[in-house]
Amino acid sequence: MSSKRRRALARGLYLVAVGAVLLVVLFPVLWLVLFSLRTEVESFRMPPRLFVVPTLQNYVDLWQSKFLRAFENSAVTASATTVLSLLLGVPAAYALSRAGFRSERLLSLWVLATRMAPPIAFGIPFFLIYKEIELIDTRLGLVVIYLSFNLSLVIWMMRAFFDGLPRSLEEAAYIDGAGVLGAFVRVTLPLCAPGLATTAIFCFLLSWNDFFYSLILTRSDALTAPVAIVNFMNYESWEYGKISAGATLIMLPVVAFSLGVRRYLIRGLTAGAVKG
Amino acid sequence: MQENHRRRLPRRQFLRGALGAGGVLAAGRLAAAQTRTTIKMMQVSHAYPAGLNAQLGEFEQKTGIKAEIDLMSFPVLNQRADLELASGSGAYDVIQMVFIRSGRWIRAGWAEPLNPFLARDRDVDLPDFVAGAMAPFRRGDTIYALPWLADSTVVGYRADILDKAGYAKPPETFEALHEMAAKIHTRETAGFVTQDNLHWIWPNWLISYGGAFFANVPDDLTPRFDTPEAVKTAEMFTTLLAKYSAPGGAKLNSAVVQAIMQQGKAAYYLDGLGGVQRIIDTTKTQLADRIAFGNTPSGPRGHFPQLAVHGYFINRASKKKEAAWEFIRWAIGKQTMLKNALDHGHMACTRTSVLNHPEFKKKFTWRGSDLPALHEAVMKRAGDGYMAFRTIPQFPPIGDRVIIALTAIASGQTSAADGMKALQKDAEAILRKEGAPMKS
Repeated sequence: MSSKRRRALARGLYLVAVGAVLLVVLFPVLWLVLFSLRTEVESFRMPPRLFVVPTLQNYVDLWQSKFLRAFENSAVTASATTVLSLLLGVPAAYALSRAGFRSERLLSLWVLATRMAPPIAFGIPFFLIYKEIELIDTRLGLVVIYLSFNLSLVIWMMRAFFDGLPRSLEEAAYIDGAGVLGAFVRVTLPLCAPGLATTAIFCFLLSWNDFFYSLILTRSDALTAPVAIVNFMNYESWEYGKISAGATLIMLPVVAFSLGVRRYLIRGLTAGAVKG
Repeated sequence: MQENHRRRLPRRQFLRGALGAGGVLAAGRLAAAQTRTTIKMMQVSHAYPAGLNAQLGEFEQKTGIKAEIDLMSFPVLNQRADLELASGSGAYDVIQMVFIRSGRWIRAGWAEPLNPFLARDRDVDLPDFVAGAMAPFRRGDTIYALPWLADSTVVGYRADILDKAGYAKPPETFEALHEMAAKIHTRETAGFVTQDNLHWIWPNWLISYGGAFFANVPDDLTPRFDTPEAVKTAEMFTTLLAKYSAPGGAKLNSAVVQAIMQQGKAAYYLDGLGGVQRIIDTTKTQLADRIAFGNTPSGPRGHFPQLAVHGYFINRASKKKEAAWEFIRWAIGKQTMLKNALDHGHMACTRTSVLNHPEFKKKFTWRGSDLPALHEAVMKRAGDGYMAFRTIPQFPPIGDRVIIALTAIASGQTSAADGMKALQKDAEAILRKEGAPMKS
């Protein structure tokens, strides 16, 4: 066998292996999507049929239920939290990276305090406080909670990115007449775009997928999609069609968002891994 | 030109008109004020509240009260109801009384006694509720909730498979059930399936073999998990789960069990009546016409089918108790219940009049199995009081511990004797901590 053919064979085997791994990893997702496009009779038919006429009925049923409102709540709270977390957290991270506070280490540690205990530890206190200040079942209430958790993530992640950036770049900007804010906005932030994208995705995911606080702190008006899906588990049976259609819809924004910023995401995740 | 011909409105006529309009407006506001009372209710997602939602317009028109029903899954309901009630928020006026939490909620004073309302509004017709459905919500003469759902344990089976194995009807004793399960069980079709709420299913065996959870409810709550009856029935029950059930035996939830029956992967099903609708729904399974129903088996001491009841109660922290009562009165009314049964497939009804209604009988008699009669018999039987062990305030943590013990035995982590001994110890500790009476 010539080396060219051997290389082609190796490449073929490699592609088959990648395909097999992808199939295993993505099969649950594929199954979920297929389930959402079948009637229940088809979903439970034994032996299962590979090809069936797809139906959008599960999505229509979902559209006609209160799920849309929950989906909107998820989108609004996750987006608002992401934006606010970045607006507040990025300057804080920059300050911690550059200002050289005396108690900077202690301060950084305290920033992490909200993530030091499991969410359930804060559940009851938050419920009681929210009950008093009438923030239960409001989007604002959820945003405030998510913000308290996401800020530490933003500060710690972004600080690492700022630390990795040479100060000389900002100093050059100062020489050119820029102020601290100008150098930060025009020089530092653009260079940290991959970090910002990565952090934004994590913030969005944490809020978007939150189940616990939505369970505890909402009733019906501010209910988010993850809890709304669970509510299709009826007492007498589960509405599998709606559950799978809802889960497919929940995945879509995250997939779209991740695809949109994937270039930055990969750069952000690997930043600092290899230094030349 | 038209402007010139327009007649000027005399002042007196204007004032009269304004007064009239004001009057109409005021009357409108009064009517609006009457219809402005809004109550909130929380309960599990189910066919029954779906039916209530469909009829809410009628309720609002009749009473001028607007009702909002928040539906949620059972785990979410348990979590939220505890939190709302414990915090005294009063955000929900009417809440589903969960059978096994009734003891705790009533003891904590979170449920408003319904006696004054019942004394006034006789049309509720209390004797129409089957005894077993009312029992969990009575404490002495005080009634705290009214039942909308009673889930009785029944048996669903594949008549074609049992016929082939030589069984014209399902086994009448647990011994015979075990023999049958061994005979019909194959890799493709399980001989027995049930749901993972094992503290509800196992007592079918336990009590009919003379065992009990506690010595004498409510006066003596000494646990009875280390008795020979408890060990024997735990062994029998977990053997079925381990050897003759579908993969996952002790951890199949009700929805999965139904899916297994829908797929034809099991021949015998012991579960609540509430899930029956799904396995005989021809839009959900091709096997519906091969399913038949029967009674749960009996043991040496008799027949003790289990019953789980859910009701509606008024949250004591509610500021709209009158409106909340009006809602409950309507929601468990005869007409409402019958309509929910016929239009929304709610079979697990609690009223004698509904269970014996000709249309109800016709709708829920399946392949010769008179499910309404089966259900009514279980409710009457449970009226004897053998279900009281599930409504003591300490039941939820003990129930959870029972599930852990039975799962451990079924999975071979421990023997029945050791598993029950450990359960006994834990149950004693829980009850001691709660200050429960343990006399023996």
